[in-house]
Amino acid sequence: MDGIHDVGGKQGYGAIDVDEPDLYELGKAFNHDWEAREWGISRCARTPDINIDWWRHCRELIAPIDYLSRPYFDTWAQTDFATYVDGGFFTLEEVCSGYSNLGSNPLDQAPPKTMKKADAIIADRQNTCRFDAEINQAPLFSIGDTVITNQHGFSGHTRLPQYARNRVGKVHALNGAHVFPDLSAQGKKTHQHLYTIVFETGALWADCVNKNDKVFLDLWETYLSINGLSK
Amino acid sequence: MVEFNAKKVAELHHHLHSHLPSESALRVKALETLLVAKGLINSESIDAWIEAYTEDIGPKRGAQVVAKAWNDEDFRQRLVQDGSSAIDELGYLGNATGHLKVIENTKSVHNLVVCTLCSCYPFSILGIAPAWYKAAAYRSRAVRDPRGVLAEFGVQISNDIEVRVWDSTAELRYLVLPQRPSNTEALSEDELASLVTRNSMIGTDRDLIKKEEVKA
Repeated sequence: MDGIHDVGGKQGYGAIDVDEPDLYELGKAFNHDWEAREWGISRCARTPDINIDWWRHCRELIAPIDYLSRPYFDTWAQTDFATYVDGGFFTLEEVCSGYSNLGSNPLDQAPPKTMKKADAIIADRQNTCRFDAEINQAPLFSIGDTVITNQHGFSGHTRLPQYARNRVGKVHALNGAHVFPDLSAQGKKTHQHLYTIVFETGALWADCVNKNDKVFLDLWETYLSINGLSK
Repeated sequence: MVEFNAKKVAELHHHLHSHLPSESALRVKALETLLVAKGLINSESIDAWIEAYTEDIGPKRGAQVVAKAWNDEDFRQRLVQDGSSAIDELGYLGNATGHLKVIENTKSVHNLVVCTLCSCYPFSILGIAPAWYKAAAYRSRAVRDPRGVLAEFGVQISNDIEVRVWDSTAELRYLVLPQRPSNTEALSEDELASLVTRNSMIGTDRDLIKKEEVKA
């Protein structure tokens, strides 16, 4: 979707807070306790049948004013609220009143296990996600091929940013077939060849400073075509 | 069941905008309270994840990976060939590193990592991302004006060095392998790791020897 999240190349966001300390050097990971809680919540539970692409899309659907003005982990919390309501785990009334109406909406499931830090470290490793799979189709493009990206976006979740649409680049690497996010965010798990495409900055920006610089994006096969023919 | 109904979720967000408390801390408290009451989560496990990502999982892991690559040429080759499998040798494979690509800085190349569409980050080796990495200012400018961004971080890149920006648009995650500082042949792997900054593994820092000289 042509949403507020797609900020690559957009102007007017100002200076970067380069003086922010590396919190880890101060023995911390979070600026605020609530950010830490939200991180922990996100690690402990999600609606069971959700996937990362739908979750990302739910975050993109936050009203633009909230997306831009609320702190990062706050938008995670709002996304979680939306997905739990959407999944039928909370009612909107419960969310708005902040209390759980268990009588009318009991959850029939085993209570969660209590984890210690060592369990979390092991779980982090064990839950490593891979998104690739073998598919029967051979890749359409080879390393070095010149390709052009789609001119138009997709109104649902998609990972072809606006700044890289209708642009000419070269295939830098083949990465096997990965879950295609545009369909995954609709609940349909399919795999498609994923390429790393390299763009000369001059092909992306009229005001680029150094034409030797390059931008690399990881793009799925249906985002790309060759000789003007959509693949 | 998830309905994958974007229109419904957009409407939900407008309700949430009006009805959730304004303060972030209260929002997250309400979320935790509801999840605990529903029996979906317990607060002790939230504590465990916070401790794991504060005390154990963080950029020190990435720095160890870099130091080992500097010290062990075979490991460096395995790391560049298959980042995920190489960091698994150290037990660092995990959240968002199932498809890790390690990109090497050289005298003539500087690498910079960004996620313009959200804030993808290799959590299991760098921990929680800095706030600037998740902010629109960095995400918008890194792909359009990388040299300006680097200058803002105090990194001057001469024109004969090629800047390569990696926009994390898929599930591949990127770790920059900075150049080993000179005159560090006598240092142990742990001493080498202490020279590696978090920013150097994202690409917003380059010349690690300078920092060491400043410290000296």
